[in-house]
Amino acid sequence: MSSILTIARREITRLRSRFTGKSRIAVFAIILLAAVVGYVVYQQDIGMSRHLYTVGVSSDAPPITDERFKTIEIDPYEGFQQLWEGKLDLYVWGDDVSYQHSSERSLYALGALKEYLEKYEILRISREYEIDQAFPLRIEARHLKVEDEITSGHGLGTLADILEPGPTPDPGAISPDPAAKTDDAVRQQLEEFRTSGTLPEFEAEFVSDEEILIPSLSRPPIPLAQVVLTFLYVIPIFLVGVFFTSSFMEEKINRKLVVLLSAPVTPFQIITGKMIPYIIYSIIAIIAITIALSGDILLSLAIFIPVSMFIFSALLMVALLYRTFKDQTFFSIMAAWMVIAYLITPAMFTGLSDVSYFSPLTLAIQVYRDEPIGVMEYLLATVPLYLLFSVTVFMGVRVFNEEYLMGFRPMHRKVAEAINLIMDRNHLSFSVMLVSLIFLPVVLMIQFASIIIGMNLPATLPDSVSFAVIFPLAILSEEIAKSSSVAVLLQNRAIGSMRSVIKYSFFAALGFFIGEKLLLYLTLSVVSETMFVEAALGSGWLILPLAMHFVTTGAVCLLSARFGVRFYPLAIVAGAIIHGSYDLIIMRGEIF
Amino acid sequence: MRFLALVKRELRSIRREKTIMFAVFIQLFIAAFSSFLMIGVMSFYNPESIGENARIYVDVGVVGEIGSPVAYYVEKSPSITVRRFDDIETAEEEFRSGRVDALMAILPESSGVVEMKLILPQSDAESMLITMALDKPLKEAENYLRRQNGIDLLYDDLEGKPYTNFEFLYSIIIPVLMFFPALIAGSITIDTISEELQNKTLDTLWAAPVSLWGIFSAKIFTAGITAVAQCILWIGLLRMNSLSIHNIPLVLLFALLIAFCVSFGAGIIAVAFKDRERAQFVYSVGLVTVAGLSYLVNPSPFELMARLAAGGQFVGLLQVMSYLLPLFLLGSAFFLFSKRLAAA
Repeated sequence: MSSILTIARREITRLRSRFTGKSRIAVFAIILLAAVVGYVVYQQDIGMSRHLYTVGVSSDAPPITDERFKTIEIDPYEGFQQLWEGKLDLYVWGDDVSYQHSSERSLYALGALKEYLEKYEILRISREYEIDQAFPLRIEARHLKVEDEITSGHGLGTLADILEPGPTPDPGAISPDPAAKTDDAVRQQLEEFRTSGTLPEFEAEFVSDEEILIPSLSRPPIPLAQVVLTFLYVIPIFLVGVFFTSSFMEEKINRKLVVLLSAPVTPFQIITGKMIPYIIYSIIAIIAITIALSGDILLSLAIFIPVSMFIFSALLMVALLYRTFKDQTFFSIMAAWMVIAYLITPAMFTGLSDVSYFSPLTLAIQVYRDEPIGVMEYLLATVPLYLLFSVTVFMGVRVFNEEYLMGFRPMHRKVAEAINLIMDRNHLSFSVMLVSLIFLPVVLMIQFASIIIGMNLPATLPDSVSFAVIFPLAILSEEIAKSSSVAVLLQNRAIGSMRSVIKYSFFAALGFFIGEKLLLYLTLSVVSETMFVEAALGSGWLILPLAMHFVTTGAVCLLSARFGVRFYPLAIVAGAIIHGSYDLIIMRGEIF
Repeated sequence: MRFLALVKRELRSIRREKTIMFAVFIQLFIAAFSSFLMIGVMSFYNPESIGENARIYVDVGVVGEIGSPVAYYVEKSPSITVRRFDDIETAEEEFRSGRVDALMAILPESSGVVEMKLILPQSDAESMLITMALDKPLKEAENYLRRQNGIDLLYDDLEGKPYTNFEFLYSIIIPVLMFFPALIAGSITIDTISEELQNKTLDTLWAAPVSLWGIFSAKIFTAGITAVAQCILWIGLLRMNSLSIHNIPLVLLFALLIAFCVSFGAGIIAVAFKDRERAQFVYSVGLVTVAGLSYLVNPSPFELMARLAAGGQFVGLLQVMSYLLPLFLLGSAFFLFSKRLAAA
């Protein structure tokens, strides 16, 4: 432990030394400038679509102050002429608006202007008419508990209690409240509407109980708070992480890493010692952000510490894999995007599907909405991140040697070398299983990305084209994940006989199979209404998929052993064909 | 000729390290996830857009005044199915069992005012989606009631197209896609310059008859042309998806000028700090600052790119060429910094 702390202290000193003298002043100045500029721009309330539309207006047209419209005062004859020539998107004369029927752009401009003018119209009618005439529809929002919902403090009671508070409600007993009760709410919202005119600010809670909604005055809520939470919490952690990866780079260049490796410290101590200061900085950032958002610090830490460990897992991989400065930049950007995609995508389904519990951001959203979170949901969201962190640190420890870290070679060789270093020759069967298990999240990510790429293909293409993209990518990634460890063993001549190839192929297939089923079990324990149920029911006997994994992995590895590892890509294709045939037979009811 | 040789050397290095492949992969990855992210990000741009972009289907139960015009307008919405109930108990049972998503308890009209209670599930996300789906029909019902109350509404008959997708595409997506390669070009510039400085490989290059400014300019030129290559790729992909971009030559020229401006700025930072760690940090924070400051310019780079790509009026070659001035200033500053470094 003392060695870890010594390395951690050394890391803090190193970081401090980066920012001394003039550079410290320059860095503080630029951070301060960024804060000031951010504040000024926020205060200016600058929209993103300034002057996107060009609108001609007559002298008696209503004022158009929305900055999306660049207005030009012009007489009607000239205005219609320019509208016809496509120089104007719209022409507003008095209370009428003219547009180009054949121009998409003009129609979009009309849609935007209609919305703006409707707001202008609300202000007019609120001035000219009585409040009951101008705002004749008032809606009181109330919440009720649905059977499978967890009670969270509001929305208790029955519908009768809400509609008719009293001892014996009956169907015909819905009596109107005096409109005067809601007039105050209308006046208040109208005043807000008159003074604001800006986009609503972020609020974690959407529709509170007993809130009065006036349709034309209601400000739409900002949904999908997970995107905000991601940027508020995750991006600062990534900024801290830049220094963590850079630390490895600097020590490689200065060859201090070589000195460190020759010292009486283990790779585990070096990695954790270097990581600890940055994890502490991340925790400080999490606490500061939570205080700023008036959140629950302990719950935020419980949710975002695993997230920061997940980010540091990705950054550790970057630090171990990169070969040049440019590699480091691109790997870091890629890692950031993958982490953000992993965190945001499931969280998009918050409240709609239990799949959202794969992301800890879902828990954070619930915490900010004062909704309770269950233990199982917490475990599903965070245990995979802790596991990933442990596996990454384990891999880091295994590959942490001078030759691997300092050498420059093609990426596929670097990965093969890492697999070779991860495997323990004394426990080869277990190692082979472990490598398959480790690759499982990567396979899932590739399969997930392939599904999304397939879904993004032009809608004009037939569905079979999407299938042709998703299916081969999914199968090839699985076959590579299962067979790569045996291929690396073959390349390094650690195994030779066909018997041992078959034996380790079985263990590789078993590792993948266990991981696959474990993931399915974990998912089923939380997720109730998703495709996973179908997948579980459809898989039939457990022995069949295991046999398939073994046959395809065995085929790839035996072909590689027979013809040499340089034919490994072709062997993968052969294995994928067998795998694909099996899947098509299993799914034939779905696709034929 | 020497300059071209240096550019070729840089391009070889990028090809050898497969760096550009990573850049393209990152952008494809971003694009692949954009459809998921787009709904989320667009909802910040305009919260009402979620109804346009996500297929929301809601079952709404109506109790009380089941023949109210409010129920009629809600029923007209293609994303809502209305079920009318004669008694509260059945409605509650259907709601609690999840067979209807929300309940509208409509009270009798009184003095021209209709009051109703909207019963929502506790889940905020579901409630939010239901209120999104109800937003338009309730506004239509409100306008109907206004007309019943003798109010003559202006602009009610205007029929435009939902504009959020259009504005989001041209104001955010296209500028981001055209400027993201510039961000990468700046990072590449810092990496290549600080790599030479930190690895002390500059001495070898100095042996060649080229100035330090020439060496570094070749690096910036290479970063700039890789940025434009990525922009061309993006435009191709967008066109494949039937998304039209106007003024393509001007859009590309503008993206190139911005890429060079960013790269010269990044080059100044790299030469000033002389190590990657600090340079990349200052570059990241500085870029955000400059992007924020640029909004105070009229038209801002984002705005100019949006208007060019959308085929807007009053923007053209003159506005694009005005960015030659910051490019000249940054290039000159970079020249001075390089000279100072050479003299040191």
